[in-house]
Amino acid sequence: MQSKGKIAVLGVSITMLIIWGIITIIPLYWMIIGSFQDSYADASMKISMWPEVWSFEPFSRFFDKTMAWRWLLNSLIVSSILTITNVFFASLAGYAFAKLHFPGRKTIFWILLMTMMIPTQVTLIPLYILVIDVFNLKDSYMGLILPSIVSVGNIFLMKQYMSTLPTSLIHAARIDACSEFGIFYKIILPMAKPGLSVLAIFSFVFHWNDFFWPLLVTESEAMRTIQVGLAGFKFADTTDFGAIMAGATVASLPMIVLFFALQRYFLQGITIGAVKG
Amino acid sequence: MARVVFKNVEKEFVDGNKETFIAVKESNFTIEDKEFVVFVGPSGCGKTTSLRMIAGLEKQTRGDIMIGDRVVNKLHPKDRDIAMVFQDYALYPHMTIRENLSFGLKNLKQPKDVIAKKVKDASEVLGLDHLLDRKPKELSGGQRQRVAVGRAIVRDPQVFLFDEPLSNLDAKLRVQMRVELAELHKRLEATIVYVTHDQIEAMTLGQRIVVMNKGQIQQVASPTDLYQKPENMFVAGFIGSPPMNFIDVTYENGKVMMEGAQFVLPEHSVQALRAYEGKKLVLGIRPEHLFGEDITMGVPDTYSLTSTVQVVEQLGSENLVYFRVGERMITAKLHPDSDARVGQLKKFLLDMSKVHFFDVKTEKRTSI
Amino acid sequence: MVQKLRDHMWAYIFILVPVLLFLVFTLYPIISAFMMSFQRYHVLNPEWIGFDNYKTMFADSVFYKSLWNTFLFTVCTVPVNIAITFMLAYFIFQLRTKWQTFFKAVMYLPAVASGVTISLVWFAMFDPTKDGMINSFLGFFGMEPVMWLSQTSTALFSLMLMTYLGSHGAGIILYLAAMGGIPKSLYEAADIDHASGWAKFSKITWPLLKPTTLYLLVTGVIISFQVFISVYMMTQGGPDFATTTIAYLIYQTAFMFYEFGLASAQSFVLTAIIVVVSIIQFKMFSTDVEY
Repeated sequence: MQSKGKIAVLGVSITMLIIWGIITIIPLYWMIIGSFQDSYADASMKISMWPEVWSFEPFSRFFDKTMAWRWLLNSLIVSSILTITNVFFASLAGYAFAKLHFPGRKTIFWILLMTMMIPTQVTLIPLYILVIDVFNLKDSYMGLILPSIVSVGNIFLMKQYMSTLPTSLIHAARIDACSEFGIFYKIILPMAKPGLSVLAIFSFVFHWNDFFWPLLVTESEAMRTIQVGLAGFKFADTTDFGAIMAGATVASLPMIVLFFALQRYFLQGITIGAVKG
Repeated sequence: MARVVFKNVEKEFVDGNKETFIAVKESNFTIEDKEFVVFVGPSGCGKTTSLRMIAGLEKQTRGDIMIGDRVVNKLHPKDRDIAMVFQDYALYPHMTIRENLSFGLKNLKQPKDVIAKKVKDASEVLGLDHLLDRKPKELSGGQRQRVAVGRAIVRDPQVFLFDEPLSNLDAKLRVQMRVELAELHKRLEATIVYVTHDQIEAMTLGQRIVVMNKGQIQQVASPTDLYQKPENMFVAGFIGSPPMNFIDVTYENGKVMMEGAQFVLPEHSVQALRAYEGKKLVLGIRPEHLFGEDITMGVPDTYSLTSTVQVVEQLGSENLVYFRVGERMITAKLHPDSDARVGQLKKFLLDMSKVHFFDVKTEKRTSI
Repeated sequence: MVQKLRDHMWAYIFILVPVLLFLVFTLYPIISAFMMSFQRYHVLNPEWIGFDNYKTMFADSVFYKSLWNTFLFTVCTVPVNIAITFMLAYFIFQLRTKWQTFFKAVMYLPAVASGVTISLVWFAMFDPTKDGMINSFLGFFGMEPVMWLSQTSTALFSLMLMTYLGSHGAGIILYLAAMGGIPKSLYEAADIDHASGWAKFSKITWPLLKPTTLYLLVTGVIISFQVFISVYMMTQGGPDFATTTIAYLIYQTAFMFYEFGLASAQSFVLTAIIVVVSIIQFKMFSTDVEY
């Protein structure tokens, strides 16, 4: 029993969604399509919605002029390590804050939470001095990784997630003579797999796309991450739109592929730790 | 010998606003070896907290807890020689039934063949042998319940702790499991401490019952004693279904007076109530001790109330008839053939030998 | 006390590494930055100069300009984006599950691309010649090409436009989850009461989605107060400071002019603004978010 009103709403909805869907996708489409057009060669600078001639020239120019392979490798190394450390430490601490009632739990967690309000701009300068001047870690993987080993936001997220797991299982394991680390490792981690996967994926994407800290802490071309390298390429070579688009495609394609492969986790993961109700 | 003893045990929680909440107050009792004791009371009464303190999952704020001859105050749950069955079963979802059953024994570093034998024995007793390689989510509620019990049995503990184990089952299965648990107790010959909010479970399973309310033990007694000699109005109202009726009365000169009726009490009652001369009391009578005039079951009509029938519920085996005395709604459980219609002015007979009197202030039963 | 510590030893071990890292890489920098805002920074011997940094900051017209730009950017983007997000979520909610998933994915997709790549693409799309993508689109309707990023009148608006047309996927997903959580019986009850479509929307849907709206509002405000990458990549704060946001100004002060003290002072003004917003957040959410 579909009323006319409902059909009208449905019609408007679908139309609007198709229009807005195209608008949303167009920049990505244009980025990819633009990287297959060699506007630089004919000096027209024009990028069309559909190339008259398909060309891989922009890609080869991007890879020839830059250390893009090295940048990709750097990004892969840094993002992978930070994903592992964030998942491990955030779940461990999140579990402790959610399920273990140790003295000081609320105070410590409250302090962590409060600092989340403080914008990155505040900590960046002392962090820069600390890592560059004190620890002498400029242009090193260690310098890229160290400050981001585990973020407070991820601890908060995992705390929220862990508190949804049944406490009785922890009690049962304790009676079953399981050690405290054993409870975490053998009981909690297997149960928390969906949440951990989501955290891993979002961590990886976040660190792959991260820009500000890698910009500050790296100087030589060889230590750039793909994002910083790409930004530098743009400033060095503003007119070669084709190669810039190719670089943007190279930088974002791994994430787009990841998104299509793990779409379910991306789309469901957003709601973990967000508002309840 | 695995007695469980509470000596002046108290448990306080500090809530988010730094206010102290007393979950268990000055708790003293002894559960004898091989005894089946049930803790019962409304939610938040402290029964589960008491059980968890025995298990060592919560630490008491004050007092001593003994299991067997040991004071276990500082012992880790694994060292207390107990096993526990949880309300939600708490089966490890990622392990097979076999792994669930053997997890504790493995952690205790028992030899493989011993573990295998214990798992086999327990699963045979509980009829789980064909399910050992499945995961918990592939099992029905009743089967999961059995696995939870099995996990406790393989540990061969001195004391079994049950935390509302049947409350997640449907009504029919609950009755069946209740019988199985009673049989299990006989076979295991172990001490069992069992927590429930269901008074029927408590009455059918417990050799003795601990009734708790608001953190305090109200009475520790056998099911029959609880029913026949409740120590206070809380116990009287909690045990029995439908609950005991309470009627406000005044005692004067060997007579109790209430709205619409007054009785001359028998001599032994008069002796007991001497201290209440001219004072208010609460009269308690269970619905099953009220009778209609038509089917009296041999109760004399010396003591009677007349009131208008408000509601009649026909349950087949009995009729529940509701009427008012003063402000209070009174329930009578009458013979199914008894004649009772809504609006009818009906005479109800009281079995005076089953009547209790309670102090208005302390709510304690006066000894009759 | 010792007994207590021993009982909870494992809990402390579990949080040890995160807490140590937090002390070194978050708490220490915060305190250090605060002290630095009263110093003229030098690696070996920083010089205490009292409120001089704050005085310099408040005497600087660019600072006020950057606050105004940031405020304008926030006010013009966050509410509009929430409205867009809500409408898209509402449209998607009308569809069947399969199509819901499809449109969720489409709307979310650009969010996996980095700020750098998105900025690069938009930079190219804002090409001021008539062949630029957006200009040629306008040209299709007979309009003159616009110098999007290189004139003061349109530069900040261009950055705003980028957010309007960007990914609203995360917000849409949150709204859809909340919409799915509204019991159907409420609408059925409203039908029985002869409620109109608008009444159902304004009396049921909107009030019950308020927590999500507030969440998006507050997180949106905090994020937009820190807008940086698009400014850095596309305009470098120009032309004539038209797009200098507070976050970009801090970056410039610190890492282009190496005025660490002044930059710290600026960053604490940003903090103060965000803290005020966050306190409003906690007031509004204290009943909904457990922590």
